[in-house]
Amino acid sequence: MRPWLAPVALIAVLCALAALLPAMAPLFSWVEPNTDSLIYTRDSFWFLLQSHIWLVLVSATIGTLVAVSAGIFVTRPAGRDFLPLVSQVASIGQTVPPVAVLALAVPAMGFGEKPTLLALVLYGLLPILRNTLAGLGGINPAVLESAKGMGMSSAQVLFKVELPLAGRVILAGIRTSVTINIATAAIGSTIGARTLGDPVIAGLVNGNTAYVVQGAILIGLLALATDSLFEAIERAWGRTFSI
Amino acid sequence: MPVSTQPPNRVIPALALSALACVWLLDFGLVQPNRIVSGTGYGLYAATGWLGAVVVSSLLAVAVGLALRPTHKRFWVLALLLITALMALPLLLEMLAQRKLPEDSAYARIGIGAGFWCLAFFLALMLLETLGQLKASRRLQLSTVLLIVAGWWFCATREGLSSLSLIREYANRADQFTQALTTHLSLSLGAVAISAVLAFGLALAMVRRERLRRPLLGLVSFMQTIPSLALFGLLIAPLGALSAAYPFLQTLGIRGIGWAPAMLALIAYSLLPMVRNTYVALMEVPEPVVDAGRGMGMNERQIFFKLKLPLALPVIIEGVRITTIQAIGLTAVAALIGAGGFGTFIFQGLGQAAMDLVLLGALPTVFLALAADAILSALKFQGASR
Repeated sequence: MRPWLAPVALIAVLCALAALLPAMAPLFSWVEPNTDSLIYTRDSFWFLLQSHIWLVLVSATIGTLVAVSAGIFVTRPAGRDFLPLVSQVASIGQTVPPVAVLALAVPAMGFGEKPTLLALVLYGLLPILRNTLAGLGGINPAVLESAKGMGMSSAQVLFKVELPLAGRVILAGIRTSVTINIATAAIGSTIGARTLGDPVIAGLVNGNTAYVVQGAILIGLLALATDSLFEAIERAWGRTFSI
Repeated sequence: MPVSTQPPNRVIPALALSALACVWLLDFGLVQPNRIVSGTGYGLYAATGWLGAVVVSSLLAVAVGLALRPTHKRFWVLALLLITALMALPLLLEMLAQRKLPEDSAYARIGIGAGFWCLAFFLALMLLETLGQLKASRRLQLSTVLLIVAGWWFCATREGLSSLSLIREYANRADQFTQALTTHLSLSLGAVAISAVLAFGLALAMVRRERLRRPLLGLVSFMQTIPSLALFGLLIAPLGALSAAYPFLQTLGIRGIGWAPAMLALIAYSLLPMVRNTYVALMEVPEPVVDAGRGMGMNERQIFFKLKLPLALPVIIEGVRITTIQAIGLTAVAALIGAGGFGTFIFQGLGQAAMDLVLLGALPTVFLALAADAILSALKFQGASR
């Protein structure tokens, strides 16, 4: 039970703060003494939190589906020709800064939620793809031979041997991808997505540090909670599939 | 002579056909009356006339044909063809400018359409695949990139492309561009240099005292988890308070916004890859090597500087590479807190809905990251081969 303690506690704090920040106005008068508007009110923090999580969740789901299927395709006999190019693109692509991908999505799709989602999916699938290739490629060929020798079909080898063995590495890729995407989604506020970055950007534009702090604390907590959740899942995974 | 027939390559035809579809289905270029209005899009035929359309289509068809031929020489021919095509690509935009740009309007400009970007992207992928098939050396890869960059540079300085929106935006702010470049480089490279020194010290401390390993690695990876916008934001209040309390800090330029919080955050982010790689590299020097050194009568100091450090160098440089790429990207975000750099153009452009200004910030950021990657990868291999 212990590995789940940290994520549960962090998620509880995050939810509590998202709900209770508006009641903490007096605290923020200390940060920003010169103004009356101490609490960001254009949207509720609760709504922004949900919208932020939704963006990351959707992009992680699409990214994982696309990246894992692409990774499987290029490691099968039918798609092996594409393996060198795909693995090179996965590593070169990660060199491109996420904020640039976000900015370049705007000329392509305009402002709003859609370009943010596109950028999150495109950038987020690279670490998953890379880890899928590493995970599938790192399996001892002798294991695959013996699985075939036991009479398994190639689909059985994939689902019963390869994917469970590569799962942990793929999961680590999803963790990296989600961590990056939580940060990138926050910057998505500058291209019109509604996320926890909104208060930060609004605060920076209007010179209101209280807004900035409110947004920054919630973004930071969201990232920490998610990371510790992945930590717990990885441990649970390790126990289930340890040989 | 043995007859070695090689299997047809399926990757190049797939890419070439995708490029062909994109080039014919999407807008190749735009003509805009001024910098804000989105303008009219033109397809390949409308933009470049029959000459451009025939050249582009037949180029892609020839690439498909070459890829299916059963000889090895096909890849050399393909490489030459693709390099020439990529070098000359901007000329297609010049054709659009000649054909469609209204002559009497001082503000009219041509924009790059999705079709052009897709063509460039797929041609680059085809070249990547071809160089991979040729097992090209790093030197050959690097000269290929330099050739293409030189080609684009040559095209960009020609009179015919002076109406390209990107070049117009640059011409309007050439001074600001140089300043952004300087700021961007000094912030990111400065942060990398400072954190390299810090990380080296921390890694050495961890090597000496095993007890420090967990808390230190925990701390630096904790910092890496905090999203950039949050960390930049959280540094504003304390630094602002600090500079309000000690006015002499303000004369140094240390305020809640500006370069100071940006630098601090960049250093914090840079520590994890640096510390981790330096520590792992120093720990992984094989024990027999160290023993051999001792046997040759080296003292601890000599063992460290003559054996351990050179052996650890490639992994340490890999840490520097990851850090530099990351810092270049994060510096762009730091423009939000007034640190300057190419991010200024990106966020200004987003604010004014001026897409060419966004490109003027985003493309150099990408280019810097790719260049840093190329240079440091080359250094790493040099270090490894010694």
